[in-house]
Amino acid sequence: MAIDKVTPAALETSTNQPNFRNIIINGDMSVAQRETSQASITSSGYYTCDRWQTSIGSMGTWTQSQSTDVPTGQGFAKSLKMDCTTANASPSSGNSLVLATNFEGQNLQYLKKGTSSAESTTLSFWVKSNKTGTYIAELMDNDNSNRHINNSYTISSADTWEKKTITFAGDTTGALDNDNANSFTISFWLGGGSNYTSGTLQTSWGSLTQANRAVGQVNLADSTSNEWYVTGIQLEASDTASDFEFLPVDVNLQRCRRYFYSINAAGHSSPIDGAYNRYVSFSQSANKGKWFVQFPVSMRTNPTFTADNITSSTVEGYNYNTSGSLTFSSVAADAGGNLTKNVEITYTSGVSVGNVVTWRWNNSPNASFQFSSEL
Amino acid sequence: MNRNFTSVTKYYNSDNEFCSYRVIENEITSFVPLAEDNTDYQAIQQWISEGNTVIDNN
Repeated sequence: MAIDKVTPAALETSTNQPNFRNIIINGDMSVAQRETSQASITSSGYYTCDRWQTSIGSMGTWTQSQSTDVPTGQGFAKSLKMDCTTANASPSSGNSLVLATNFEGQNLQYLKKGTSSAESTTLSFWVKSNKTGTYIAELMDNDNSNRHINNSYTISSADTWEKKTITFAGDTTGALDNDNANSFTISFWLGGGSNYTSGTLQTSWGSLTQANRAVGQVNLADSTSNEWYVTGIQLEASDTASDFEFLPVDVNLQRCRRYFYSINAAGHSSPIDGAYNRYVSFSQSANKGKWFVQFPVSMRTNPTFTADNITSSTVEGYNYNTSGSLTFSSVAADAGGNLTKNVEITYTSGVSVGNVVTWRWNNSPNASFQFSSEL
Repeated sequence: MNRNFTSVTKYYNSDNEFCSYRVIENEITSFVPLAEDNTDYQAIQQWISEGNTVIDNN
């Protein structure tokens, strides 16, 4: 069909879906502000691709990376890779390994969960692994005693990208809170002990039964030869899957930055700064410079501040009033909110109240200032 | 998600205001604001409720 005039109605017709139909943020794994690779993962946390949380309980040791191995001809440039470096071939009952992403309830009100009009949702994604067999995907409602629904998919051919589609029924029980808290989670199981596998798979919405969550799941942790890739993850309010909704890079990055914002030095695996860029602060008390950080987007909440590899070797100061170089001593977060944060950098000496002080990266270290309001 | 806090200390700014928690977890230091919808703040409250003690050097 030729469209000679692009109108909102024409766009609607050509896609048959509104914009931002993909509930998942960074489903194409294109944004990785923290790192592009993280080795020796044995505990839960956010490591590489934004918005994707690894939840692990004594289930081997892993390297996670943002990979360029992608399905051919689908438009993807990046995937998330899990690579087992220490195996656990005989997991204990409570062991587990899950890749998950969490959502604010206020973004999901249109699912009409907890009503007679609750929407079905369809999860689609591309996956590849040497470890063939049954895997489990799960939706969980965190606002109503962890109601959940699970379904299986099969990796049929080793080391081959396959597209999977799973449709989940709508849930007529339990409304999601209309706020900024963690209401909803999508999980990709990669391994689980008998606490999670000994029941009957929960293929309809129901109250939490741990034993019904990962029934049939293969153990991806059973060999250091194992690796698992995923990209193109989309969850939409529909009983069929549409093509993956690619967003402009800037839009995707801004959406991620609601939950995590990092100012990375030029030597970081995801740099955003050039070498020797200067940031301005002023001194409210002796030997301290108060730096006002303006976030590029309103964060979900007042974020946690972390200084990653910030030392006297990676950061240096300069006093414009005295023209003197300053030696970094320590850093702390002061007051803040969803849009700004006061960060106080302490120097060993050379700063008086009222001085204008700058800090800059010392050459190009692998260092960053991080602000997290993850769910 | 289970947390592995080594220590949690009240942090006072230059105006001597208690404005955040200084947290050491997995050898990484972070500053957690006093914001009830911050999940790190929620984890600290859970950690306290389990009988752990926040250090106050003020």
